[in-house]
Formats: sequence, structure tokens, C-alpha cells
Amino acid sequence: MDLSIIQITLLTLLAYCKVLEWSTTQITAFNTVIYGFLAGLILGDVKTGLEVGATLQLMSLGVVAVGGSSMPDYPVAAIITTTISVVTGQGIATGLALGLPVGMLGVQFDVIWKIFNGFINRKALAYAEKKEFTKMLNISLVSTVTAGLTAAIPVFLSITLGIDIVKKILDFLPVWFTNGLQIAGGMLPAVGITMLLLYMPVKKLWSYLLIGFVLAAYLSLPILGVALIGLALAFEFYKRNIQGGKTQSAGETNGVDMEDE
Amino acid sequence: MELTWKMSKQPVLTKKDLDRAGKRWFIGISTFNYETQLAPSVVFALFPLLKKMYPDEEDLLKAVKNHSRYFNTHPWIANLVLGTALAVEDEGGIESLDAVQDLKVGLMGPLAGIGDTIIWAMFPTIFGAIAASMAQNGSVLGSLIWLAFYGISLFIRPKLMWFGYRQGSKLVTQMGAQLNAFTDAVSVLGLTVVGAILSSTIKLSTGIVYKNGEVKLNLQSTLDSILPSLLPVLLVGILYYLMGKKKIKMTRIILILIIFALIGSFLGILSV
Repeated sequence: MDLSIIQITLLTLLAYCKVLEWSTTQITAFNTVIYGFLAGLILGDVKTGLEVGATLQLMSLGVVAVGGSSMPDYPVAAIITTTISVVTGQGIATGLALGLPVGMLGVQFDVIWKIFNGFINRKALAYAEKKEFTKMLNISLVSTVTAGLTAAIPVFLSITLGIDIVKKILDFLPVWFTNGLQIAGGMLPAVGITMLLLYMPVKKLWSYLLIGFVLAAYLSLPILGVALIGLALAFEFYKRNIQGGKTQSAGETNGVDMEDE
Repeated sequence: MELTWKMSKQPVLTKKDLDRAGKRWFIGISTFNYETQLAPSVVFALFPLLKKMYPDEEDLLKAVKNHSRYFNTHPWIANLVLGTALAVEDEGGIESLDAVQDLKVGLMGPLAGIGDTIIWAMFPTIFGAIAASMAQNGSVLGSLIWLAFYGISLFIRPKLMWFGYRQGSKLVTQMGAQLNAFTDAVSVLGLTVVGAILSSTIKLSTGIVYKNGEVKLNLQSTLDSILPSLLPVLLVGILYYLMGKKKIKMTRIILILIIFALIGSFLGILSV
């Protein structure tokens, strides 16, 4: 079968809404089946949609995006896979051959979009400095509105241009370039963490930084476990500090130390 | 109740204000950027409240800039963190900005850990497995049950802002004189967590392989045996020096990092 213009529009819109929803209300988060189902509904083949959704849902189990990291977009892969499967009529394996790579490609768009958001954020801060607060708030919404494009563009391209062109695009982008973007994505959180450290009393309390690091790096303790230890340390620190504050001299020394920071 | 730390203003926020911020937080992770992560969403959600707390534009700017700092936690329970921070800010005003930021940082790590584990890992695994098995039999019901379950959260999540605020007020009132010690204690918690996310969040590894006849030596595994996450630690150390001591702007740092990553990838020095 051939796709009608309405179907192409609806499928592209579905991809757009998927990312918009994931970025804001998040009630369909990780729900790959529902997107296979909706794509199937648009294409008039719910059975294939559910089959694709189920396959990709099982592939995605245990894969989670934590703390803003980029992950393959399985729901978007489901939309493409369902479309290609129904259009070619050759079963879901053909669809997966295109759907999965594009789901992966979506990660590149996601990285570029997050870098773009950095520029938006700096623009917003510049407006804040000029006390143009309405402009500051409005420009943040540019990120919200453009989020969906990271999926809408790859879905639109792959369902209209098809498997050959997508392969060509993937071939055209040199591997070092896509890898480089991914490496940059891995390094950039360091900027935010450094900013954080610059604002925290690192010089005074650096030993706790070390404890947290050792727990995660050497003992591979999950963050929650580290946080619980941190809570215990914080409580002990607090208790000690309160007792120290009762003797006057100790309290004053504390005060001087803090001013030195 | 007598409080010994500076109370620069009377609390002005009402339940209605907090609910409003809770709804505005639905902007969610749609402003995510690599440098300050969810900070633009924080500013967006809290702005009407900040405006109410700070009639003076200079103070307002200071508060906006304070909330523009790095923030990231699980988006569903961020409301709890922000509500608690607002409770401190509503009583402490402009004097409390450092305490507000420390509190946010101290709470965001632990709550992100809980949210990521339960809402992002446990539920999707359980619901996903059910939805997939029902879909294989041609039924969308499993997926819809999941949707309904998460859908309920739409009504609960905005309320967490007010819940956090009330807990926060209690916290602040009870602590009173001990606020300084408390702030330091929160910093202890914050730094411990930052130490951990330093190694778990930043990804940087080298692809250099030594070849000596038949012997191949992967530099990364050598580095790992010296110190896990050595390269991320070095990166943060260098950035700390450049941004703290040399005062190089964040924009330039980011650009340098992207170019460095592309060149490193091209030469094969860095690997994914």
C-alpha cells in the first residue's frame, strides 16, 4: 500500500507529540506498545502495530534514560517499524531494519537539540540580566516547542524517503563525527558539575566528595546507596556541629573558617 | 517563635501560588541543556512566585540567577525539592539564597535516586512486560492500564510542591538557630552525592591501544586499574581550574569541549 498525505501527517505528528509528551507530562514514558498501537490505528493495521510494539517493548526492558542521558527512542522506532512493515507487507523484520537504526539516529538529534537548548538558556540569562523577564520565560518555550522535531524529522524522512535514503544519510555522516557528538554528550555534564562544585564549600568539606566518589567509582554503589551514606554522614556532621557550637570558642572558629571560603 | 538567623521578610506564598508553580513545572525536562540541565524549567515554574517574593527588581534578578544554577532530579518529584526550597526562601528572602541552592542540591540527588529506580526502572519493567505480553496476544489493554496508572500522577505531581513547602516550613521553623549547621550538613550530603555522580554521569574514555609486536595494551583498561573514572576526574579538575581560577566563561568551555571531542574522535584518542 502507499501512504496517503493524511497518514504521513498523522504519523509525523504522532512522533512530534511523543517527544513533547515525554518532555513534559510523561504519562506515556517508555510505553512503546501504545505508540505501535497508535501507528497501527493510523495505518489501519492494529494487529501489526501491537506486534511491533510488543517486540520493541521487550527489547527496551531495563533500558532507562537517567538524569537526562540520551537513549535509543524505542517508541519512535515502533512508529517507523510499523509503517514500513505495513507499507511493504513483508513482516516486521523489514520494518525493524529501518526502525531501529532511525531510533538510534534519533539520539543524535537529541544531543544536537540539548546543545541547542544550551544556547537558548544563555539567551534567557542575557534577557534576565536586562530585566526583560517575560522574554526570558518565553524563550525557554522555544526548547519545549522544538523538542518534538528530534523525532518528527527522522520519522518524516524515513517514511517518505524510505530505507535507501536513510542508509545513505547514515553513510554520509562520518562515524568519527557522530561518535564525536556522543563523546561530547558524555563530557558536557562535567561543565554543570564543575559549576556546582564552584558554588559548594569544596575546600572545607572536600573529604565528603572523595567518599562519594570512592563509593560510586570503586564499589559501584548506586546513587541511592551513596545518598543514604551521605545522609548518615550529614546527620553525624550536624550533631557534631551543634555540640561544637555550644562551646563558644569552637563556634567562633567555625565562623571564621566559613568567611575564609 | 524566635529565630536567630536573619529573617528578612514575612512569608507571602499561599497554597494557590504553590499549586500554580506545580502546574507550571509540567514544562518538565523540555528545556534540558547540558550545562545547567533543568534550571530553565525551575525558573519557568517558580518565576511568578519569585516575583511575588521580591518586589524589588534587583532582588528578583538575584533570585532568578540563583535558580538558574545547575539543577537535575527526577522530574516527577522535583516539585518536592522545589517546594521545600521555596519554604526556606519565603522566610529567609534574599539572605537565604545560598541555603536555598544548597538545599536543592542536597535533596535532588537522593530523590533522583529514588525516582529513577522506582518510576523509571521498576515500573516500566513491570508494566512493560505486562503490556508486551498482552500486545502479543493482540490486546492493547496492558498498555492502557500502564497509561492510566501514570495518568493519575498528573493530579498528584503538582500537589507535591505544596507538600514540600509545608514540610520545608516546619523544617526551617524547628531548626531556627541551627540553620547554619544544617546548611553545612546538607552540603555534606550534597558533596557526597556529587562525588558519586562525578563518576557515574560523566563519560570520557580513551581509545588508544598500544601495539608492541603481538602484545596489545588498551590504555583505558590500564587507566581503570589505576583509578576508575580517572579521565572524568581529570576533566572536572581541569574545568574547575579554568572556570574557578582562570574565570573562563562557560560558553567558551562548552565550545572547546565539543571541538575537543570531535578532534579526539577523529584521531581515535577518545572513544564512545
